[in-house]
Amino acid sequence: MFESKSGILGIAGLAFFGIAFLSNAVIPMLMYRNLPEQKAEQLINANVRYQFEDLARRFPAAFEKTYGSPPAETKEREAWLNQKCADALRLGRKVYIAEACWHCHSQFVRPVSNEERRWGAVSASPEYANELQRPVMFGTRRVGPDLCREGGRRSSDWHAVHFFRPADLSAKSPMPEYPWFFDGAADKPNARGLAIITYIQWLGSWHETYPLYEQYEASPLQDMQVDAVPAAQQSPATQARKATP
Amino acid sequence: MTLSLGRAADSSLEEAGAPQPAHLVDAQLVETRLVAFYFLAALAYLFISMLGGFLMALQLVHINPLRGIELLSPGRWRMVHTNAIAYGFLANAFLGALHWAIPRLTLKPVFNRTLSYLIFVAWQIVVVSTAVGIVLGQAQGLEWGETPVWIDPVALLGLVLVTINFTIPMTQARGPLYVSLWYFMAAFVWTPLTYAMGNFVPEYWVNGTSAGAIGGLFIHDLVGLFVTPLGWGLMYYFVPILLRKPVWSHGLSLVGFWGLAFFYPLTGIHHFLYTPIPMFLQYGAVISTIAVEMVVTTVIVNFFGTLRGSGREIVTNLPIRWFYTGMVFYAITCFQCALQTTMTFQALIHFSDWVVGHAHLVMFGVFSMWLLGIMTYLFPRLLGRDWYSRTLCEWHYWLSAVGLAVMAGDLILVGVFQGFWWGSLQMWDVSVDGSQPFWIVRVIAGVAMFAGLLVFLYNLYMTWRLSTAPAPETARLPAATA
Amino acid sequence: MNTPTVTTPAVRRRQLMVTAIMALIVLVPSLLGFGNKFREFILLFRGDVDGVFAISPIMNYLLAALGFFCLFGWAMLHGMFHDIEEPKRHFLETERELDRRLPNPPIA
Repeated sequence: MFESKSGILGIAGLAFFGIAFLSNAVIPMLMYRNLPEQKAEQLINANVRYQFEDLARRFPAAFEKTYGSPPAETKEREAWLNQKCADALRLGRKVYIAEACWHCHSQFVRPVSNEERRWGAVSASPEYANELQRPVMFGTRRVGPDLCREGGRRSSDWHAVHFFRPADLSAKSPMPEYPWFFDGAADKPNARGLAIITYIQWLGSWHETYPLYEQYEASPLQDMQVDAVPAAQQSPATQARKATP
Repeated sequence: MTLSLGRAADSSLEEAGAPQPAHLVDAQLVETRLVAFYFLAALAYLFISMLGGFLMALQLVHINPLRGIELLSPGRWRMVHTNAIAYGFLANAFLGALHWAIPRLTLKPVFNRTLSYLIFVAWQIVVVSTAVGIVLGQAQGLEWGETPVWIDPVALLGLVLVTINFTIPMTQARGPLYVSLWYFMAAFVWTPLTYAMGNFVPEYWVNGTSAGAIGGLFIHDLVGLFVTPLGWGLMYYFVPILLRKPVWSHGLSLVGFWGLAFFYPLTGIHHFLYTPIPMFLQYGAVISTIAVEMVVTTVIVNFFGTLRGSGREIVTNLPIRWFYTGMVFYAITCFQCALQTTMTFQALIHFSDWVVGHAHLVMFGVFSMWLLGIMTYLFPRLLGRDWYSRTLCEWHYWLSAVGLAVMAGDLILVGVFQGFWWGSLQMWDVSVDGSQPFWIVRVIAGVAMFAGLLVFLYNLYMTWRLSTAPAPETARLPAATA
Repeated sequence: MNTPTVTTPAVRRRQLMVTAIMALIVLVPSLLGFGNKFREFILLFRGDVDGVFAISPIMNYLLAALGFFCLFGWAMLHGMFHDIEEPKRHFLETERELDRRLPNPPIA
């Protein structure tokens, strides 16, 4: 058994691998089986929608070139914007992976090392039960800051300039430049530029403390969103605000 | 020049009572040409990988001359850097060394020679398309598995074919198996399983926290169930040959094997401590990681027990020096691992350059050192001629070893600083600015390692040129060692 | 080259003694330490809903290790591991023989 080849192949090779898979992978799967995976469309909340429309206001030409013009009627317009925003989130995640953003930025806040004070609330599993976290973007290295509470902290303008040439905003930043997100200038983001900015603005947008800086003003879309999206799909923040008179 | 491999003809197989397989007379037991091909491919990818790492290192110190070019984006080349090491350098070098070691250990050629060449070609296609896919922006969001999703099935098929090609002769080998074959057999089961688990499950079936748990398993199984067993197996094969004496304790080596087999697969989640992954699973991973360090200790004790009485070989015998330098780095890196995996350490050093230093210490300081040592030993035997220059071999060793030691020490140190800067809630820029001097040292150390590789490639080229010319009888000395 | 293994009764007895002492030195503190920590752990989680989940992987590890140990004992009784050091010598001899038979054997 232990000296035989079948022992090596069967016990060491298959069985021990199986034990490890059971105890380290199947157990969390079972524990989270009640957290259904949310599609990108279900992740749209008032905050990220506000940021998406903000892009349309700031970069109208680029926005129209990428997504076309929205329908005139309000209800169709809402559906259209939600769909485009979901598409942008998907593409933004692709860009985030392709450019290896996740190798220098993490997406989780730990309960140690004062991280709660620097970034915001400690990360929890329900935040990750969605299509955009398959595979999960935890990350293992922070050359730059953690990003999972980044949404809303900075304006989309700031992000555009920062992606175009980081040194313009933060002189000593070692972040590479991404001119291929733009058609030649920082105010002309292309599809990838709009998508990555939407994705970054989405991170943490579902959270009650969003956005984590002092002068917070509620999104002007807040009330419109309440009608457009079923309650189950609203961000916790929206629901909380609706509950309090 | 006192290598006595061929001298001990007195203790021949007839006396050992073993049967006389026909292959023994067959000089083609080992397909030497294929071994050389694999090694050359491995060195080519090492070259590319180092260029990728160099580009990222230059970006960090603000002197990247190629900024703003999409296909030369440092982020993408960072992924090429790690993937070219795992699938280009390590996998190819392992396959080359295995094509040498397994036929000689089992006295049987591989299952099918044509299949061997087919695998070689297929694997190069896999590696090249991985690199091209990543550079074109099609990476998969899985650390060390950034291979674009459309290549994953091909790569898995290649791994399964490798398993078939090597496992069949191993199962046909007679008698109680030598420990190297134990490691190889298990590794050939684990590697395709690991690859399939890591590349498919978190991509298609599970998301979020569970995907993180599997991602952690994948990163660590790639180290622990693919690289480590093949590396240890090859060391158990080459070290006794070069020291001309058996390993200190075969029994202890089997303890190491079973310890690795049981504990190593359980450690994966230690890559994601303090994430939303349930705390008790994190504790489990920490405990088994510490158990792995006990196992590693038995292996290291075994190898240094083997060395006892032959210490001078470290000076005179170049491959042995490569191997045992790797052993020393291994002892350091595993001691480091036992510390850093604890929750206390993790709070400080996670996310920092400490981890990057640790990764370089393991992948270059240990496994690449071992594989480069194997190449230093085998190339003269493959080419039928001794190295063109022993001095250049020495340069290769010293540039690589010192470069790596400086790089790893430097990054581990700055990792501690970064942990304190972050924990004390200083401005983020403080940690980036403070890292600059260390990052500059890292570039210099990397240049030294790269220079070592260039020296090796030049030496290899000159040796090959000499080997194609008709050599005088005295020059025919396929043993690399002095 | 191969160290001849001396197995006089005296040597054997000494080896057994050394093994037993080493086993005690390793086992006693580690069992005490583990038992103590495990007891603390159980006390910590007693009454907690997640408690069972927390204890279960440890029990799994212990049971698997126990089963493994039993298998090991069974294998020993069935004649395995009695000439455990033989392959390491056999393989070196094969290597030498292979090198000797090469058309251009490595010469010293």
